[in-house]
Amino acid sequence: MDKSTSQRFVPLKRNWWLKLRFFKLYMLREATVLPLVFFLLCILAGMVALLQGPESWQRWIAFMGSPIVLLLNLLALAASLFHAATFFVLFPRVMPLRIGNYQLPDKAIVAGQWAGVLAVLLLFIWLFGRASV
Amino acid sequence: MTKPTMNTPSTDSQRTNQPPHHQAYDESLWWGLFSAGGVCFAVLLPSAILFFAVLLPLGWLPADALSHERASRLLFSVPGFLFVGAAVCLPLFHAAHRLRHGMFDLILGRDTTNKKLMYGAAALLSLLALGLVVAGMFR
Amino acid sequence: MSAQQVSTRRISVKRYLPDNSTEPYWQEYELPVDDSTSLLDALNHIKEQLDSTLSYRWSCRMAICGSCGVMVNGVPKLGCKTFLRDFDDEIRIEPLAHFPVQRDLVVDMEIFLDHLAAVKPYLIDDNPVKPFDPKAPETYRQSPRQLARYKQFANCINCGLCYSACPQFGLNPEFIGPGAIALGHRYNLDSRDHGSTQRMAELNRHEGVWSCTFVGFCSKVCPKHVDPAAAINQSKVASAKHTLIALFKG
Repeated sequence: MDKSTSQRFVPLKRNWWLKLRFFKLYMLREATVLPLVFFLLCILAGMVALLQGPESWQRWIAFMGSPIVLLLNLLALAASLFHAATFFVLFPRVMPLRIGNYQLPDKAIVAGQWAGVLAVLLLFIWLFGRASV
Repeated sequence: MTKPTMNTPSTDSQRTNQPPHHQAYDESLWWGLFSAGGVCFAVLLPSAILFFAVLLPLGWLPADALSHERASRLLFSVPGFLFVGAAVCLPLFHAAHRLRHGMFDLILGRDTTNKKLMYGAAALLSLLALGLVVAGMFR
Repeated sequence: MSAQQVSTRRISVKRYLPDNSTEPYWQEYELPVDDSTSLLDALNHIKEQLDSTLSYRWSCRMAICGSCGVMVNGVPKLGCKTFLRDFDDEIRIEPLAHFPVQRDLVVDMEIFLDHLAAVKPYLIDDNPVKPFDPKAPETYRQSPRQLARYKQFANCINCGLCYSACPQFGLNPEFIGPGAIALGHRYNLDSRDHGSTQRMAELNRHEGVWSCTFVGFCSKVCPKHVDPAAAINQSKVASAKHTLIALFKG
C-alpha cells in the first residue's frame, strides 16, 4: 500500500480556538479591538459635533451618556487595560533593550510602560480635572 | 516524490493568493502601524476613554473642563492634531490589523480582500479625523 | 529512596491503522504506574506488554532527540518529559496536530523539514578569512557576549511541538513556522554568519514572519525554552529594517 495515500490529515476547523484556555485568552486579546473601534467611532462623531457648534456638542455628550453607549465604552476601558496588560509583556520579547553591556530586565520594561499609562492619566487629570483658567 | 494533494496539506498559496517568493514589503508598514497603535491603545486610551466616554457624559468633570469653547480650543490646534494622530489614527490601524488577522483565524473571507477593506477603512477614517482637526483650525 | 507506590492508570490513545480502516478510533489501556512513570514509559509498556500493534516514535528518553512528541489532552508534549503523576483526570494521547498522520502516533514531518531547509539553518560565510591550513588551523573567534545573543535560540531540538501548538501553521501549512524561523533568526544573530540577506528572502514573505500573530503558544510548549515567538517577532523588526534599507536603495 502506498504510504502517502493512506495518510490522514485533518484541517483546522473554525472553532479551533475554543479547545484550549490559552487560545480563548488569545482570541479575547484580539477582540479587545472591537470595543476600541466603537469608542473611536464615538470620538469621530464627537469631533464632527464639536465642529458643528455648541448645541451638537451638548447633544453628543448626551448621546455618550445613554446607557448602552456608556456600557460599551466601559467595556472599551476594560479592554484597553486588558490589552495593555497583554501588550506590555510582549515588548521586551520583541525588542530586548540593552544599554551598553547591561540587558534591561523584562520587569523594568513592563513597569516603565505602566508608568507611561500613569503619566498620561496625571496629564488628563491636570488638563480636565480642574476648572479651566 | 509526489503526493496526492488529497491527503497532505495544500502546497498552493491558496488562501493568501501570493506567488511563493513574493516579498511582503507592505507588511512591515502594517506591522509598524499596528505596533505603534498598540502602544497608543495601551498608554493613551485608558485615560482617553475614562475622561471622554465615562467622566464627561456622567458630568463628573468640572463644568467648563470640556465646554464647547475649551474643547474646540484644545482639539483644533497643533497638539490636538498630534493627539488625534496618536489616539485615533494609530489605534485605527492597530484595530484594522487585528481584525484582518482575526478574520483569517476564523476562516472568514480571503486575506487579500480583508486586507484592503481593513487598512482602507482605517486610512479613510484617519483622513477624516485629521481632516476634521484641520477644518477646525481654519474655521 | 522511598518505595514507589504502584497504582493502575487508564490512558486513551488515538489509533489509526490505515491497513484496517480509514477511520481513526480511541483505544483504552490500563497499566501499572508509579511516580516516575513517564508517558514514554507508558507507551513502551503498552507496546511490550499489552499491544504490539501500537506505533510511535522515540529514541533518547531524555528530551534531546525530539522524536517522541504527541498531543496530551490537546497540548503538544514530549513523551519522555511528561509524567503521568501530573495528570489527575483522563489522559488522551493523539498524534501531533497539524501534520498528516501516517499511523497511530506517527506523523509525517516532511513539511517542517522543507520549511527548515528553506531558512538555511547553517553558517553562511562567503568570504572565509583564509583557506583552511591544517598546520596552522584558524578558528572563528566569538566572545561570550556574541554567543549570548543567539544561544537561547540555538537550543532547538526540531521536535516540532511548536508547529502543533501554532494555529497559524494549522490554518496555513505554507507558513514557515516557529521552529524554522527561530533557527533562521539564530543564524542571523550569529557573529560568524553572513547569510541574513539570503534568509530574508524567505522570512520577509506572507508565509514567513508575517503570518505570525504572536499567539505565543509555541513558546509555552517548547521543551527547551527557545521562545520561538520572540524569535519570529524579533525577525519582524529585522524584516522591517531590511525593507527600509531596500526602499532607500531603490
